[in-house]
Amino acid sequence: MSALAETTAALAFPSREYFAALAGLMNANRARQEQLGYIDCTAVFSVTEADDDGATRHFRITFEEFSAIAVDEVTAEEATAADFALSGSLATWRTMLESIAAGAGRPALEQTLNYLSHLGTPLKLVAADPLKSDLYFRYNQSLQEFFNASSALATRFDG
Amino acid sequence: MSVRIHEMNPLPAALHEQELAGYEAAYRNHYQAWAEVLARNVEAIRRGSYSLHWMETGEARWGKRAKPSSRGMTYADINRIRGYGDLPEQATWFNFAPRGAVRDRYRDDMPVIGDYTVTDKNELWAENVITLYEEAKARKWNATRDIPWDEVEALPEDLEKATAQLCTFLTEVEFVAGDFPAKWLYRIPQDFLEVKSFLATQLMDEARHQEVFRKRALSCGGLLHAAPGFEWALAAILEAPTHTMGTFLLNVLGEGLVLSIFRSGEMIAKTHVDKEIFRRCLQDEARHVSYGVMELKSYIAGHPQREAAIEELHRFCDVGEQVILTAFTEPALIEPLAVLLGGGLKYIDQGMEGIRHVWTMFINEYLQRCECAGFDRRTRCTIPLEFPWGAAA
Repeated sequence: MSALAETTAALAFPSREYFAALAGLMNANRARQEQLGYIDCTAVFSVTEADDDGATRHFRITFEEFSAIAVDEVTAEEATAADFALSGSLATWRTMLESIAAGAGRPALEQTLNYLSHLGTPLKLVAADPLKSDLYFRYNQSLQEFFNASSALATRFDG
Repeated sequence: MSVRIHEMNPLPAALHEQELAGYEAAYRNHYQAWAEVLARNVEAIRRGSYSLHWMETGEARWGKRAKPSSRGMTYADINRIRGYGDLPEQATWFNFAPRGAVRDRYRDDMPVIGDYTVTDKNELWAENVITLYEEAKARKWNATRDIPWDEVEALPEDLEKATAQLCTFLTEVEFVAGDFPAKWLYRIPQDFLEVKSFLATQLMDEARHQEVFRKRALSCGGLLHAAPGFEWALAAILEAPTHTMGTFLLNVLGEGLVLSIFRSGEMIAKTHVDKEIFRRCLQDEARHVSYGVMELKSYIAGHPQREAAIEELHRFCDVGEQVILTAFTEPALIEPLAVLLGGGLKYIDQGMEGIRHVWTMFINEYLQRCECAGFDRRTRCTIPLEFPWGAAA
């Protein structure tokens, strides 16, 4: 766990605050974003909780140029308006985030976004058309590093 | 007298008499126009006389102030200025005079470049081409510096050889992926400067890909086998009869497949170095696919004989799709992929199951991309929808 993580209160995952903190970390590291290049898309990350009713929460991040400019928790219907959505169970997201934390910002080989989504499970990529799903590939490194920054956060999993 | 070969004088280097004579003859045909321009200018210099005609703005679109957006000054920003962003449906300028410059009055004094043959906007334009050009510049990376080469690890021999063979295949593919846009780039007139600019980034992307896979292969043992199957497939791409057909074959079909391979490569990578390589490459590849889809869409939507053009594309696809079948049945590709997917030579059968999945995914994505472009290939597709591995056993 990083020094920052040790000194800040743990943030619950999934929550709007958690994704807002990731957005804040991305925006604070502008120099790295400028190296990676523009990212222009609206992405939804959907997390299905493990409790009995298996409710799914959707977090929409709007990326523009080098920044995450908006973070919202949205309804399932609102989520469909995003360019693409990446959905999975809380257990899947938790394992990925814990792997990133254990690797100090670098996930294990089998815990990258592409690894987890390539075969459609345990993460599933959903988009209205292939041009929109291609955005997930066009910005893959940026999206990976968006989540890699979570190693700087203290994370609490309430599910 | 006997003379040892190494004691003989070397033959003179080849001369180019025929080529030079052809060039001279061709230029003599144009020489009068050139000579008149030259004579006029020399005379003015000798008289010590200024022209200053270039300061006249009567015919110019002068007095504009392009404003940058938050990203800087993009083509989209300058194309908002009246007269500069208007692309012709059909190019009529076959020299280097820039779109928007004062050029009409000089037309008869200028050369005509016969190689500019892709004259229809319909044959090359895509609505997203300016966005993709800006994105390509912003997301460029460096195969020398941005890959953590010092972390390359030795793998077990079977995985090492499979990685090297996959890299050999990808290096081979990237050569044609660069040569194809290069071949057409110089056939596109300057009025379509946005497309030429994007193709230049595609060329650079492909140069970087062949570089990174060559470096990766040489960091783990070396290159392995070239393959006749790939070679025929790649030649068919390079020799496609039109820019749209070739772009469809390279960007939609070929790069669509390579994008699937890169995504699989990232997934099956056994080291962080390989993860990084495939992740970087798949981003570039997705841009090329995106141009291909939108170019095809623009071609179909804008074609004056839409149904006939679609039928022509179907005919082309009947041949073109064999490119994919040829590549994806070549043992020098599917076997190393299966070894990497399975996790070793002894798990190659499990790996083949993985390839079955990649195949289905790729074909579905290909058909969806065609559909998105307004080209329904679903009932005409000549590639088996299921991977035919073991079907005859």
